[in-house]
Amino acid sequence: MNIQDNYLKNKKNIFFSENKDIQTHREKLIKIFENDGFDKKNNESLKNINLKNFIDFKYRYLISEETSVINNNQENNYSIVSVNGQCSSFKDDKIEITKIIDEDYNDFSKNETIENNDHFVNLNSLFLNSGFKIVIKKNNNISIKISNIITDDDLTIFQKNNYICEEGSSLNLIEEYENKNNSTSNILNVIKLEKNSQLNHFLIQDNSPYHNLIITSHSSCKKDSTYTQKVYNFSEGYVRNFHYSELIEANSEADLQGIFFLKDNNLSNNKTFVKHLAEDCKSNQVYKGILNDSSKATYFSNTHVDQVAQKTEGYQLSKGILLSDNASYFSKPELKIYADDVKCSHGSTIGPIDENAIFYLRSRGMSKIAATKILISSFINEELSSIDNEQMSEIIQKKLVRYLSKVK
Amino acid sequence: MFLEIKDLSVKIENKNILKSLNLNVNKGEVHAIMGPNGSGKSTLANVLAGKEDYEILDGKINFKDNDLFDLNIEERAQEGMFLAFQYPVEIPGVNITPFLHSAINSKRKRMNEEEIDNLSFAKLLKSKASDLGINIDMLKRSVNTGFSGGEKKRYEILQMSILNPDLAILDETDSGLDIDALKIVTDGVNKLKTKDNSFLIITHYQKLLDYIKPDYVHVMVNGSIVKSGGSEIAAEIEKDGFQKFQ
Repeated sequence: MNIQDNYLKNKKNIFFSENKDIQTHREKLIKIFENDGFDKKNNESLKNINLKNFIDFKYRYLISEETSVINNNQENNYSIVSVNGQCSSFKDDKIEITKIIDEDYNDFSKNETIENNDHFVNLNSLFLNSGFKIVIKKNNNISIKISNIITDDDLTIFQKNNYICEEGSSLNLIEEYENKNNSTSNILNVIKLEKNSQLNHFLIQDNSPYHNLIITSHSSCKKDSTYTQKVYNFSEGYVRNFHYSELIEANSEADLQGIFFLKDNNLSNNKTFVKHLAEDCKSNQVYKGILNDSSKATYFSNTHVDQVAQKTEGYQLSKGILLSDNASYFSKPELKIYADDVKCSHGSTIGPIDENAIFYLRSRGMSKIAATKILISSFINEELSSIDNEQMSEIIQKKLVRYLSKVK
Repeated sequence: MFLEIKDLSVKIENKNILKSLNLNVNKGEVHAIMGPNGSGKSTLANVLAGKEDYEILDGKINFKDNDLFDLNIEERAQEGMFLAFQYPVEIPGVNITPFLHSAINSKRKRMNEEEIDNLSFAKLLKSKASDLGINIDMLKRSVNTGFSGGEKKRYEILQMSILNPDLAILDETDSGLDIDALKIVTDGVNKLKTKDNSFLIITHYQKLLDYIKPDYVHVMVNGSIVKSGGSEIAAEIEKDGFQKFQ
C-alpha cells in the first residue's frame, strides 16, 4: 500500500487528524514523498536501508493503559514506564508531563529544519500516534529514567516527545529501549534547553533482531546551556540514530556521542548534525563502532558554522573496528564553515584490530580471543570510563560483556 | 638441549630472510647475536616468539623438548619464552597492572600453579618496579602509551622480571637508551640471570655487552650465523665493523 492510501485508511487513528492546519501540512508531506520518489542517491536518510519495510508497512497501533510515572522521592528521581509511546500525565513542583494529544499542535510539531530532508521524520509527522511532553521547571535538578515498552507484535509506533528544560534546570535522562517484539518504533525527540540549563541524555538501545528502532532528535540550546547525548547501541535489530543540534545562543554546547556494537547481518545508520548559529559555542561529535560478522554501519557527521558564529569550537571524530572481512563501516564527515575565527576538526579511522597489538599481548601469554576482547574494551575505554553514573556504567558493562562473549 | 634451532629458513613477502640458520642455547647461557642492519636478527626474534607474518620454509626449532612450531604465540609465552620488543606497542586504554596480572596468571595456569591474587601481585609489581627505578604512577598508565623510548624499554624489562621467563630474547633493548637507562636496564637483566634461565641478546653494539656478559657471541650476516665465539668477537666488531664478515 502506498503512503497516501495508508494514511487515508488509518486517518481516524492518527493524532490531530481533525485539525485543518495539520491536514494541509500532511498533504504537503505526502506530496514530498510522491515528488521525491525516494531518491536514495541524494537523500542521506534513505541510504543503505531496505526501504520497503518502512514505506510499505501495515499500520497497527494499540493504546495501553499500563503507563506509569513514579516519583521515587529520593534525590529528585523519577521512573517512567512508557508503553507503546504513551505516558501518563503527571505534575508536581519540579516536572510536568502531558500527553501529546493534549498539546497545541502548532507548539509541538514544527521542525522545519529537519523535515523535508528526512523522510523518516516526515513519516513520523504523518502517522503520529503517540508521545508526551516533559517540562523540567525552572532551577530544578532531577533525574528521569524512562523504560520504553512495546506490548505487541506488528505495531507501528510513531511517537513524538517534547522535552523542555526551563532556565537554570538540570536533567539527567536515561532512556532504555529493550524490545523483543516484531515491531517498528519511529521516535522524534524535540528538546529545548532554555538559558543556563543542562541535559545529560543517555540512550541505551538493546532490541531483539525483530525490532526496528528509528530515533531522531532535534535539540536547540539557548545561552549557557549544554546538551550531552550518549547513545549505546547493542541492538540486534535495525537502529537508526539521527541527531540534530542547534546552538542558537552564545556560549552553549552540544556533545553528541555514540557507540554501536554490531554483529550478524545487522545494520545501523547514524548521523549527527550540529548547527552553530551563535558566538562562543562548542560542539563535539564522536561515534565509535565495533562491527563483527557481516554487519554494516554508516555515520554522517556534520558541523555547520554560520557566519555570525565566531569563536566556534567544533570537533568530529569517527572510529571503527572491523572484526571480520565482511563487516563494513562507511563514514562521511562534513564541515561547512562560514565564519573566520573558528577551531574545527574532523577525523575518521576505520580498520581491523591492530595485529601488532594482538601479537604483543599474546607474546605475554594472553590468548588471541582474550587479547581481542581487551583491545575492543580499550577502544571504547575513554567513553566508558567517563560515565559518571554508577548504575549506567554497570548496565553498559554487562551488555559489553554479553557482546564480547559472542566474539570469536 | 634447551633451545635448538636447526637449518631454519624463513621468508616474508617473497623475500628470504633467514637461510639455514643454526643455533644451540643451553640452560643458564647468555648468547649475543650481533649483525648489521637487515641481517635478519629481529626476524629470528619474531619467529621464535611466534609472529605469524613469516613463512617457515625449512628447519626445526626445539624449545624445552617441545617442537616450537606446535605451540602458538601465547603457548610459547606460557612455556617460558619472553620477547622484549625492539619497538614496544602502545595500547591505549589497557592498564598495565591488570594486563600484567592476567599475563602472569595465564602462565601459572599452564604450569598448574596457583594463580596469584590481587594483593600479592600488587606487592610483587611494586617491588620489581622499584628495583628498576620505575615510578609507581607509571603503573597506573596504559601499556606503553605516552612513554619515552627509555621508559618503554624499562617497562619491557619490568614485564620480564615479573614473568620470570626461562628464555628471554632481548631485541635491541639498548637502542634509544641513554647511558643511565642502559645501566638500569642491564642491571635488571643481570639480577634475573640464574643457572636455570637463558638469554638471547640481539644488538648492534658492543656497549650492551659491557654490562651483560655473554657466554657466546654470534655474528649474523644475510640470514645466517657466519661466526660464533666468545666476547672477543664483540670487541673485534667494535673495532672493525661487520664488513669483514660479509
